[in-house]
Amino acid sequence: PASSRQAFPLPSLPRKQPTVLVVCGPAQNGAIGLVCARHLRIFDYEPTIFYPKRSPDPLYRDFTTQCEKMDIPFLSYLPTEVQLINDAYNAVVDAVLGAEAGEGREPCAAILATLKHIRIPIISLDVPSGWDVEAGSSGGISPDVLVSLSAPKQCARHFLGRQHFVAGRFLPYDVQKKFELNPPEYPGTECVVALRAPR
Amino acid sequence: QEEAQAIDQELFTEYKFSVDQLMELAGLSCATAIAKAYPPSSFTTSQPAVLVLCGPGNNGGDGLVCARHLKMFGYDPTVYYPKRPNKPLFEGLTTQCQKMDIPFLPEFPAEAALIDELYGLVVDAIFGFSFKGAVREPFSSILSTLERITVPIASIDIPSGWDVEKGKADGLQPDMLISLTAPKKAAMHFTGRYHFLGGRFVPTALQEKYALNLPPYPGTDCVLQLT
Repeated sequence: PASSRQAFPLPSLPRKQPTVLVVCGPAQNGAIGLVCARHLRIFDYEPTIFYPKRSPDPLYRDFTTQCEKMDIPFLSYLPTEVQLINDAYNAVVDAVLGAEAGEGREPCAAILATLKHIRIPIISLDVPSGWDVEAGSSGGISPDVLVSLSAPKQCARHFLGRQHFVAGRFLPYDVQKKFELNPPEYPGTECVVALRAPR
Repeated sequence: QEEAQAIDQELFTEYKFSVDQLMELAGLSCATAIAKAYPPSSFTTSQPAVLVLCGPGNNGGDGLVCARHLKMFGYDPTVYYPKRPNKPLFEGLTTQCQKMDIPFLPEFPAEAALIDELYGLVVDAIFGFSFKGAVREPFSSILSTLERITVPIASIDIPSGWDVEKGKADGLQPDMLISLTAPKKAAMHFTGRYHFLGGRFVPTALQEKYALNLPPYPGTDCVLQLT
């Protein structure tokens, strides 16, 4: 995960500034969000991070420093007024919870409650936060884009958004075989592959 | 050379990047650039076989990462890594390659003709921008052999054996150079066909501070073709 690099599609963005809100949870999924935010900055987006519960892990703290030094702002609170988020950003990257947790404790539950009501697209990393990693979710967030890491998780079957990508092109062939992952073929040197749209 | 070292230092001490992070991104750039210039279909050998020569320092580490990504991209890399640092980073990278069935040669194919026959490309990851002074064995024999092969050579950051600023007129003449972070002065003496820029991790503030004047990378690509 330290080198996990997310390449995002470059849709044309409705706002003049390519602003993106990256919401990072307390564990590995959040750390991946930090790395993602840094690369978005390199790609000339304007990410802003909300990272309320910071991990003490030195690796993840360094990711935070890298973002700060690259002038990526860190919000001190997440507006509960959903319209503020809709107005300020083009999209939200959901890096709150991954395969490791369910609904999660505060502040994740509050964040997810807000995210359920936003109108701008959500891009979820690996597992839409709050979803059960196998069963999916009833009444949880509905991301527009899902980026499955290494391979899609079971809950991805319930994904109804516009685009589903697989990323994390680092699985050795024998690991793929051992776990019967059958990942799709990545085109050329791409580190991201789009799966057939669910609808 | 000093500037390159200063930038690296800032990335590590101010920005808190780890060597692992930057090495991974650098090695990935190298593999990507190679795949663009020498796609597997362009090889005349029956498999797209690549020989990756890894030196004793970070340039060698870049080579190990590159070899691993070349394997993911469908190439058949083989590594020669005679002098391995006793550090977890390099041991880890070596294990990753070995576990991916990338062979490590026990000895260097000392005949130029043998290299030409077995491989379609040689990756020179021997010495990088910290290189100073005389080339010691086993690398000086390796470099002599490389000067006689006919298959293309892709050098990572600095053609090995070159002075980092002045180049080396009678030294290695690689077909491809992948400059990492920013081209070094020696790149002015590069006469091969392909010059790529890789290592897309330098924050804008640092680029401005050192007046790097890097051209923009296309889209989300991690490499930029300069020539």
